[in-house]
This record gives sequence, structure tokens and C-alpha cells, in this order.
Amino acid sequence: MSSEPIERRVSYLGDRLRASRCSCCHKEYFEVRDYCSVCGRKSYGKMDSFDLFYDKGILELCTFIDEPTNKFSKLNSFVHGIVSFHGGKIRVPARITDQLTCNGEKIDLTSLEGREVVPRFRRRYSVNKSDVIPTISLAFTLADEYYPHQEYKVTQPVKDYELPGIVGYSAYTSRFRIKSGSLERAVPFIDEDAVTAAVEAGKLALIHSGLDSAWIGKVYVGSESNPYAVKPIASKVAQVLKLGEEDGDVQSVDAIDTEFACKAGTSMFKDACALVSYPRSNVKYAIVIGSDNSQAAPRGCPGGELDMFVGYGSAAYIFGKKDVIAEVEDWYSCTSDTPDFWRRDGEPYPMHGGRFTGDPAYFKHVRKSASKLMERLNLKPSDINYFVPHQPNANFPVRIAKELGFKEEQYSPSLMINKFGNTYSGASLIGLAAILDIAKPDERILVASYGSGAGSDAYVIRTTSQLLDKRLRQKINVKFLAENPFVEYVDYTTYRHLKTGM
Amino acid sequence: MQNRPAIVAVGRTKFGEHYGKEPEKLIEEAWLAASNECSIERKDLEACYMSDCFLPITNKLGLEEGFLSELTELHVPMEATRSFSAALMTACHAIQAGVYNTVLVGGIEKMSDRWEKIRDDLMLLDDPWSYYAGGTPDSNHELMMRAYTKKYGITGEALEKFNIALAQISVKNHANAVNNKYAQFQRKISIEQVLNARKAANKPLGLYDFAPISDGSSALILTSGEVAKKLTDQPIYVLGCGLATDYLNYTAREDLTRFVAAELAMNKATETAKVAALDIPLWELYDQSTMMEMITLEDLGLCEPGTAWKCIHESYTTNQASYPIKGKQVYVNTDGGLKANGNPLGATGGAQVFEIFCQLRGEADKRQIDLPNGQKTGGVVECEGFGTKAIVTILGERKQ
Repeated sequence: MSSEPIERRVSYLGDRLRASRCSCCHKEYFEVRDYCSVCGRKSYGKMDSFDLFYDKGILELCTFIDEPTNKFSKLNSFVHGIVSFHGGKIRVPARITDQLTCNGEKIDLTSLEGREVVPRFRRRYSVNKSDVIPTISLAFTLADEYYPHQEYKVTQPVKDYELPGIVGYSAYTSRFRIKSGSLERAVPFIDEDAVTAAVEAGKLALIHSGLDSAWIGKVYVGSESNPYAVKPIASKVAQVLKLGEEDGDVQSVDAIDTEFACKAGTSMFKDACALVSYPRSNVKYAIVIGSDNSQAAPRGCPGGELDMFVGYGSAAYIFGKKDVIAEVEDWYSCTSDTPDFWRRDGEPYPMHGGRFTGDPAYFKHVRKSASKLMERLNLKPSDINYFVPHQPNANFPVRIAKELGFKEEQYSPSLMINKFGNTYSGASLIGLAAILDIAKPDERILVASYGSGAGSDAYVIRTTSQLLDKRLRQKINVKFLAENPFVEYVDYTTYRHLKTGM
Repeated sequence: MQNRPAIVAVGRTKFGEHYGKEPEKLIEEAWLAASNECSIERKDLEACYMSDCFLPITNKLGLEEGFLSELTELHVPMEATRSFSAALMTACHAIQAGVYNTVLVGGIEKMSDRWEKIRDDLMLLDDPWSYYAGGTPDSNHELMMRAYTKKYGITGEALEKFNIALAQISVKNHANAVNNKYAQFQRKISIEQVLNARKAANKPLGLYDFAPISDGSSALILTSGEVAKKLTDQPIYVLGCGLATDYLNYTAREDLTRFVAAELAMNKATETAKVAALDIPLWELYDQSTMMEMITLEDLGLCEPGTAWKCIHESYTTNQASYPIKGKQVYVNTDGGLKANGNPLGATGGAQVFEIFCQLRGEADKRQIDLPNGQKTGGVVECEGFGTKAIVTILGERKQ
């Protein structure tokens, strides 16, 4: 039996590192407090609650843990310390994550102390397979390395658009990679999974959009690697990112997980657009997240061929009708019952149909959706600036792009498969993010996702001038993630260890 | 302190791993040893105060009072606390109030039965938020050490001396334990061993800086002054005690380089005992780590903040058993301290009192310190958690 009530309380206070401030003397406290120790009774009811989720701190002191307590033993060794916020007004214990340390390696603690750190949302520690997975933001990373601090500044949107479209987006992947030949694949750190990646992408997309998280009316999370068979990722995302108005101890937001192999995210673009366009829905903004810690059996086992391609990553897109950076012009989806890739209930890893995954599956559906949409809009490949195909491996997207008549400069900027691996539900979304990072205003992008099982969603979107304004807010973009000098490469054994999670 | 309670007898078991003994066997051993010493019968006891930090977790013993009642065949009032000093303090209050005249105070802990999970339990109980951030029972001590060296600008050569001073604490405690037949580790260690263990672990503090996990029990008979005279010629009086508390989460405390709780408890204890800190030559400090023994010297007001390590280093260079502090010799942990004597949480304070009791009565055999006349007083500092709760007890031969 796990102690769920405790887990729930710790998650409630710890996922966003809640703190309180006395409105009389301005003393600050970690955790929620009803009154101030200095002002006593007169401060009762005058404590302001706030959180440190988007804040940055300083690693004041640290030490090296080489013999962790049982629940942290999968981490082997790590740096633990004290992080202070607001000039030392608040101090919290901290675990420095995203650092591969091995016993015996000399860690220079002095070189870490005094540096800026960012709170990250991660798994708290290991639990039994049947238990609730505890999460927390007491995991920090150094702000001058892979994950810089980005300020979350809410700005009131001003400009109305006729068509719904993307108002903010972001991609996220971990700091670790495994490399074989020219193929690099992202590997989650051991405390990361599809849930933490979904929250990260959502957080970064909110920062990019400048929207108040309370304005979001619906959250969709598409994934095929949810660590739970039953329990949505979307509820965690809604709670941690405080999506929708806070109403007592619930969020006024609709949250749903979707599943359709790799197109679970893209499929919901049209639903999000429709929802924000429907006047009676009362939803001004909806967020769609595709997130996967792509699963594959170890090499040599049935289904192990996938282990050469799987990656880790997520992307989030916020849809609305104000301050749009890319309008969604039209879409087309197709579906057929094609069992090219599947995972039976209770099985840890998916299986695939070998050669059957090509022509009768990926190519048939992507070809259909892309060509049908271009035909409907009366567009030729030359009318489209960028083509973003789903990218399960390096060959498929190139082959379909060429077949549809696209030139290399139209499709290759979106191909991130060689950088992050196949990120399943995140794959075409990260490809689209790579294009939005570099596109100019008034350019047309064709996205064609693919989900095994099988189906494809094609979208034509057109960028607006506001794309450039919002780009300035974003330090962590796809290029930053792909070409980061702080990326760390791991060997196959470490990769399997990290992938399994805490 | 009015109507001073007196300790008339003490008893304890050896600390260490008692694989073959159940918790009740251990406490029975300690209580029989104490009762034999002053010929107390069960029927003479009017109440029992018992301490164990987490017996319900380690040995699945809920309602310790019932457990003790079964053991002693008594139906008298019983109370359970988490530390021996807290039990002793509560017992003192009852005797001072005139409610009882003769009570048993006992402590028990059996940690080795839960060897695999003990560090998780300790940390989760001591400082849950640090635990959630991956902290271990050792990490707060190390963070305190780094905070201390940073605050007082201890670097370079001074830092080397500082590190040796901390090592000396452990070396001294182990040397003291050699003549303590109850100690968990009756053997000497060297400065090099302590330093090498730190180097091997690549950490600020190493294996020899921390107290072990132990099983053990301790007990004492506490009576009113009147009753004490009938039972023994040499009662040891509780001159004063003080208790204070602090935040559970170490990181959230105002000052990371001291234990405020120990400081406050000390103030209260010296106030009631009407003695000055430096007039107490004998101390049993709570050296859960070498760092903690050092910092407590400052918390008690014996040394100025930022200077305790210098006195300890001096004892190293002059090869003294005591710390030279402001022209006085201060003896700390003559029984080996938590480091070498052992640290079965609920029973630890009892062993500390046991040592002061023996020293003040001149019954400490080869460990005996020649205390100057008129200064036969000793102090005990016990903590719960990482300085979350501190209790200071001052004991003396004379009913001042």
C-alpha cells in the first residue's frame, strides 16, 4: 500500500513549489502558511500564496550523495543542496538533476555553488510499479547549461484573427543523446517520462504565448507512453500548469488524453481550432501536447528493431483566435484499419509489422492526406514553403516528400529525426516547431502526420507577422535543443537504464 | 530548580547489533541493572517514562506503554516520548510537582532489525522535504559544514586544520570508547582513517564522521530528594533542564550554521541550574556527526561562533583528551559519544546520563576524569531530528 494521501499533499505543494508571503512584513516562507511567525495573529488571512514554478534560484550550498536512500538508489549518485530564492528569503532543499555522475568521480562542489538554477518538474523517486508515480519540482538544473531560465510574462492579446491558429508553441527534449552513425536520439534522464515532458512543453509554450494559464479552456495530451494505463497525463498537466481558472481546489479546465499511435497530438489540432471558434464553448484557448518517451523492446528481443530509432520529446501548441502566429487554413484526415504497429494491453513494448509499415501504412496514408489537402486548396508543392512529414526514421519522410514533389529545401528543415530520434506523438509536432522557429511571416506550411493503426492528418497553416514578435521570447527552440553544447552522450547500457525510469 | 529530583541508579545494555534479542529483552536488561543497583522493586515504581524514536516503525510495536506494562507487570501511569532526555524532563516535572516520588525512565531502540530501510525512515521523519530532494541522513550535516566554512571564510590552510579538527573529534571519541565495555566500537582509529574515508567517498564528511546505527537500551531510577537519601549515599541531582524546538526542514531555518534549539535549551537549563556554561567541565554532546559535536560547543556558548574548531585543533596538536576552551579544560563524550559508544536513538540519552552519573560518582573506572572540587557537574545535550528538538540536562553531585 502506498501512502496516497501524503503523496497527493506533497504533489500539491511540491509540483509547483508553493510559497507564502506575509503582506504585513513581507517575510517569505516555503509551503503554504496561514500566518507569519513574525507578525503572529494579525497576519492571519493576510498571507499571499505564490509559487516558484517559473522562478529561478541560486544553488547556495551543495554536497555529493553517493549512497542515496532506497528510493533514490536508481540515481546512483547525484548532487544535493540548498537553493535560495529572492535573495535568500526562501530556501528549499534541492536535487540537481540531469547530471550523470559516477562514484569515484571528483565533483567540484565549489564550482556549482553560487550558480543560477531553474526548478524542473520531475519524478520524485522510485516506487513500486503499481504505485502512484510521485512528482516534484525540488529537482533543479543549472541555468547556464542546457536549460536557461525564461521569464513568464503575461501579456494581454490585442489582435483578432478571422481564422483560428497557433498562438504559442514549444518543443522540449532532454539533455541526453545516444549516437549511432549520423543518427542522434534523445534519451530522457531517469526522472523524466512522457508526463514530465508534456508539462515541460506546456510550460515553455505558455511562456512563448504570453498567455495567462487561466485563459486555457481545454488541454489535450496525445501519447503512447503514458506510464499509467489508467490515469490521464492531461490532469497532471492541468494541475501543474494551473490551466483554467482556479476554482477552490480544482482547475476550471477540460483535460483529456488522446491515443492514436503517433498522431494522437496532431489529430487534436482541428478539435482545438473548432473549440476556440465555437462561440458557445467559452473556450478562448486550447492547448494540444504530443509527448512520448518512445518505447522499444531491447535489441535482440521481438520488436527490438525499433530500439535503433526511438527518441524522447514533446511539443505543445496553444490554439486561439487572438495574436495568432500561424493560422490554420484547412485540414484533411484519413483513416483505415491497418495493424502495422501495436502494443497489446499489459505488454511493455510495441510490436511492428516490418515491411508492412511502409507502403500499405505510412506512405499510403501520408500520401493520401497531403495530396488530398493540396488538391482541395488547389495548391501545388511550389505554393508551399515548408513540408513537415511525420518522421519515424530518416528514409520515410524524404521518400514521401520527394514523391509529393517537394524539394529538399522545403522538407529538410523540418527533419529532426536525426537529432532526437522518433519521438512518436511528438515527432511531427517537433518538426513543425523547427519550421515555426525559422519561418517568415506569410509563409505556408503543410504538415502531414501519421499514426499507426492507421491514419494521417494534414494541415495547411499560414504564418502571420506576429510570429517574429513572439520569437524573441523564446530561448529554448528546436535549434537550441538540437545543437546545444551541453548535450551529453550516453552508451547503450546507460540509455536503457535511463529509459526505464525511476 | 526547586525540589530537585535525583537519579539514584542507572543501567544500560551494550550498544551495537543485538540480532538475537527482542526489544523487550533489551529494556529488561537495562531496567534490571538499574533496579539491582538501588534495590528497587517493581512495586516501588509509581510511574514509567519511556522513550523510543520509532519502535512502532522498526519493530511494529504500537502503544509502547502496553508493551512496557506487560514487561514490568505494572499498571502504573506510563508515557512514551521520542528521546530519553524528553522522558527524563517529563519525569522531573512530575517529581517536582510532587505527584510521584519514584519513577522509572527508560529508553529503547532497535534499529538493526530494519537495516535496509532505516536511512529512508530516519530521513523521512527528520526532514521530509530534504528527503524528497534526495537528501540522506548525512547530507544535512555536510551542508551545514559547507555553510559554516563559507560563512567564516575557512579556506586553504585553515580548511585543512578545520578538517583535521573534525577528524580529531572522531579519533578522540573512539579513544574514549576503548575503556567503555558498553560501547559499540571499543577500538581506536587514526586521523588518516577519517580523512581517507572522506576522500574515498569524495565527500566533505566520511564514514568515520557519523554515528552508527545501533540497538540498545538504557534506564534510570528517578526519585524525589527525600526518597533518594534513603536509597543511596551518592544521588546525582538534576540541576536543570531545558528544551527547545525548531523547524523540521533544516534549509528553511534562519541560520544554517547553528542549532537555535540547542542554544535556547541551554539558556533555560543553565538558568534553572544557576551555573555558567564554562563552569561545567564535563559534557555529553550529541555527536551524530563530528560536525554536530563541534557546532554544539558554539551553541552552548562554550566557544564563540566560528571558533570551536580551533579549540579542537589545539587539543589535537597538544594531544589532549579535553578541549582547551578559554583557559579551562572541557571534557566531551568521555564514553565515546554517539560515534563510538553507539546511537540507539531512544536509548542514547540514557547512556549519556549514565556516563555523567558514573563520572560524577567516581565510578567510571579507566575513563574517570579527575574533576576539580566544587565542579562536579556535567551536562547532556540530546537532539531529536537534525536539531529540530534539543534538550539540555545539567546534572550535579551537590543539591545546590
